[in-house]
Amino acid sequence: MTDQWTDRLSEYLDGELAGPERTALEAHLVSCDACRTTLDELRRVVTNARALDDRPPSADLWPVVAARIGLAARSQPRPVVRRFSFTVPQLAAASVALALVAGGAAWLIARRGPVAAPVVISRPTPTLLNASAYPGDSRYLAQVADLERALARDRGRLDTATVRVIERNLRIIDRAIRNAQSALAADPANSYLNLHLAQEMRRKLELLRQAATLAGARS
Amino acid sequence: MELTTPGVATLRRDPDQRALGDAETADAALAASGDGRAFERLYRAHVARVHSLVRRMVGPDHADDIAQDVFVRAWTKLATFRGEAAFGTWLHRLAVNVILARRTTLGTERSRYDDSADRLDGVAGRPAAPELSMDFEEAIGRLPDGARQVFVLHDIEGYRHEEIADMLGIVAGTSKSQLHHARMALRKHLER
Repeated sequence: MTDQWTDRLSEYLDGELAGPERTALEAHLVSCDACRTTLDELRRVVTNARALDDRPPSADLWPVVAARIGLAARSQPRPVVRRFSFTVPQLAAASVALALVAGGAAWLIARRGPVAAPVVISRPTPTLLNASAYPGDSRYLAQVADLERALARDRGRLDTATVRVIERNLRIIDRAIRNAQSALAADPANSYLNLHLAQEMRRKLELLRQAATLAGARS
Repeated sequence: MELTTPGVATLRRDPDQRALGDAETADAALAASGDGRAFERLYRAHVARVHSLVRRMVGPDHADDIAQDVFVRAWTKLATFRGEAAFGTWLHRLAVNVILARRTTLGTERSRYDDSADRLDGVAGRPAAPELSMDFEEAIGRLPDGARQVFVLHDIEGYRHEEIADMLGIVAGTSKSQLHHARMALRKHLER
């Protein structure tokens, strides 16, 4: 059974009926069992629709998609990607994850204040595992500067989203380096901090090297 | 404990969804630069939703073909994805466009929005006894093209009438009317 209001019930349900019409319909609903029932059923239809589960296709469509976009004929997407064990964003993500964990540890150590050097270590001054990664080392600084110049020159060849990822992660690594340097200033004999700083600096160098190589390979 | 190390506190506050979105944005960037494995990850993550959308919009017969078209189209358009919205949102809108573009080929052009009452009655008139009631999805598939597409876009996908009218080339009033007819027809297929 329908009446003049039946066709307006969906609009009412969706909140699209306003003013006098809404008031009149609500007054009608008080006295009309049929419209109340219909409204409840419409509400259940909407609820059912929103609860529907997505189902995958019965057969995997990927082989056909891959063939149509030309991926099936090659085992790897592009030769330039094959040069690396990891892609730049993967490397950046891994770098950042390590930087964050190590940086957190560095912060905790710095917060505790200076600690006594282990008895078995008799070095009077901090010794980094890799001399080329020492912050004041001219070779390290020159390498970083060279790579930054190369990346700046060729960055236009990279996708902008990739550039954003690289730059964001370089900033995070730089912050981790600065934190480690600050912590070392307070506790210069801390072997963990020395190691952490060296690792972060090598990480930055590696990320820059891979990004610059990738950008250069796009030419 | 809140650490002040750069990034750590931020990561702790990030909801899983944002992490997923970042991962997909990164995959989209990789795919745009030609990384097929990244694109396959995106395909795996979204194929169920895309295929379900296609199947509901045009029926099961052409669903596989059109879903493939959606991903092929996405591959060619990846450079236009800038990460302002979630990748899924971008892909979903692209899927709708591909589906609507195929309507003409499939004979579901605009004239079909003048759905006859007979077809709607055919859906609504099916016996509602529990043993005979059809699956709700199947009932949606039996709706006339216009009513089905509006119902899917509005009630399942969450588009507004103005957006639907724009996509389908109809007026918002027609979209509202089609939606109501679709809902009225589907009432008969609610589980008792």
